[in-house]
Amino acid sequence: MHEFLEEISQKDGVSGYEKKVGEVIAEKFSPYIDETRADPLGNLIFYKKGQGKHSPRLMICAHMDEIGLIVTKVEEQGFLRFTSLGGFDARTLPGQEVTIYGRNILPGLIGFKLPHLLTEQEKNRGVKMEDLYLDTGLPAEVVQRLIPVGSVAAIKRNFMTLRHNSRAGKALDDRAGVVSLWQCAKELAKFKHEADLYLVATVQEEVGTRGAVVSTYGISPDVGIAVDVCHGDFPGALEQEVSSMAQGPVVTAGPNIHPAVGERLLQVAKDYHLPHQRDVSPGPTGTDARAIQISLEGIPTGLLSIPLRYMHTSVELVDLEDVKDTGLLLAYFTAGVDRTFVEGLACL
Amino acid sequence: MRGLIERLCTSYGPAGREEQVRAAIITEIVKLNESYTVDTLGNLVVHKSAAAGKKILVAAHMDEIGLMVTYIEENGFLRFTNLGGIPPGILWGLRVVFADGLVGVIGQEKIEGTRKPDLKQHYIDIGAADREEAQARVKIGDSAVYFAPVYQAGKRLSAKSLDNRIGCVVLLETLKRLGGLTLPVEVYFAFTVQEEVGLRGARTAAYRLKPDYGLAVDVTRVGDTPEPDFKTGVALGKGPAIKIMDSAVICHPGVTRLMQDVAEKKGIPFQPEVLERGGTDAGAIHLTREGVPSGALSIPCRYIHTPAEMVDLDDVENSIALLTELLKSTDW
Repeated sequence: MHEFLEEISQKDGVSGYEKKVGEVIAEKFSPYIDETRADPLGNLIFYKKGQGKHSPRLMICAHMDEIGLIVTKVEEQGFLRFTSLGGFDARTLPGQEVTIYGRNILPGLIGFKLPHLLTEQEKNRGVKMEDLYLDTGLPAEVVQRLIPVGSVAAIKRNFMTLRHNSRAGKALDDRAGVVSLWQCAKELAKFKHEADLYLVATVQEEVGTRGAVVSTYGISPDVGIAVDVCHGDFPGALEQEVSSMAQGPVVTAGPNIHPAVGERLLQVAKDYHLPHQRDVSPGPTGTDARAIQISLEGIPTGLLSIPLRYMHTSVELVDLEDVKDTGLLLAYFTAGVDRTFVEGLACL
Repeated sequence: MRGLIERLCTSYGPAGREEQVRAAIITEIVKLNESYTVDTLGNLVVHKSAAAGKKILVAAHMDEIGLMVTYIEENGFLRFTNLGGIPPGILWGLRVVFADGLVGVIGQEKIEGTRKPDLKQHYIDIGAADREEAQARVKIGDSAVYFAPVYQAGKRLSAKSLDNRIGCVVLLETLKRLGGLTLPVEVYFAFTVQEEVGLRGARTAAYRLKPDYGLAVDVTRVGDTPEPDFKTGVALGKGPAIKIMDSAVICHPGVTRLMQDVAEKKGIPFQPEVLERGGTDAGAIHLTREGVPSGALSIPCRYIHTPAEMVDLDDVENSIALLTELLKSTDW
């Protein structure tokens, strides 16, 4: 699991350009599933057939895209202006290494004006994306030839193995979720399950849960579960705003979540003695769950989250046990999804 | 083409009230001996069928931004809200026109200090002496659009609603040039409604037509004016822009690649476009049903959403050339 997480954290797949990371993911899932297909927007759908005759359809998804950068303008001196694909905080960007996907793949870094040279006014203003630029070190004419406007870039960061089960790196939001889906598929080899299972590595979550919009339409599930990350605890955080690291997956409740699906997730965690936590979200969650719920005629939806520190930075930190327990909870939940459960969901 | 631009840009068609501009486009379609359908929301569609081949939806919205009357004051002034992105800072002293040709002037209340003007501080003056006189001409819910002539200086043409009547012109001219050709692809040319209020027409048109690919034709912002308010390399006169991304879509890499390949092969100039704020019909089309790989061809345009939008006629010509070649391509 460590190896898989490291491997896909190191692969680049910014929103809209998930093909490369998708190939690695597809290969890794293939031993545990019956069929793989990609839909028109590039969602990878891993199908595992259920035992029943009138099997209910269960969709579980985690997004494989990561936030990234896209070139908006090539300055005359060869520096590149950019905007973000998804929600980067400009404060986290100065000094980062990047991989730029132009006509060639090129290394670069994010340049900025140094504190020594800032005016008082600029100091108070804080870092803004429009002040930053990509620097490849290449002469302007080479940059103009090799890196057209619209080229994307991913943050480059080596995966870190920290103490105990802590792992840190880029794109763990939500590659950690993808690994938990894989863990689920693996675990399900030990179970008979009635439900037809669709594990989906979705695209373009970070720019507005777009992959989940179309994959839910295509699969038309009876139940949908999104797996994403949530804020892990850190010094200075309010207790009610964060979840604890290494205390298991977080089960969300709220209007985005079908109460019986949320209850069942909690019950399964208790039955199998899996560590777990609870969380509430008042509106549509910032995850694929928001898209799933309002697809087609409406889909009973659940959300499981893996606690993660430093979201949307290159040092996103997770605990491997949380990733594993999320996968196990998904597997045990899947094993219990049958016709009766699905029919019960209609009785609110 | 100048005549066509003039006819479409002077047509009335705010979001939700597209009947006049639709009628104007239908007149052009009939001249080309093409048939058409109009769907429930008012999208106008011309179908060019092929024996076999991928289905491509080419969409240009025909609606324009506008003002909708919300309240009639006792003294006959009209209060209004916006249909789409009306910039409040430019309104004072503008003329607007209603569906029946009634013209009004926009006035502005006193604005204290450095406050930015806001729509609520504006009103439309139709010359009515009181509420009763105003009510005889206008009802709450009536919509007005900018009232502005078309003006051309050299290669540059300025008019209201070039966003997106110029896109409609590109579709009509392409239709004309394709004439009786048998295409390798099946094409739906859609003149969509209500784009300016949230890509609404394209959403239902794409659902009904079930295309394999989507292509929006619309205008895009440029960065070639003094101190532009955002950084883009797109400029007037350097060819159509091939969209890579905007706030509503990340274009499918396969579609943008095909567009660039065709442009390069045919020697048509083009500019790659990343638009940080704004969206087009491609945003709605690509999320339809199970997903539709989509792209967009953009005509660079200055002063978008003002009564004096400006395009370069070479860009328009090259956009028509690119769309025509794209639909003749066998590489979809």
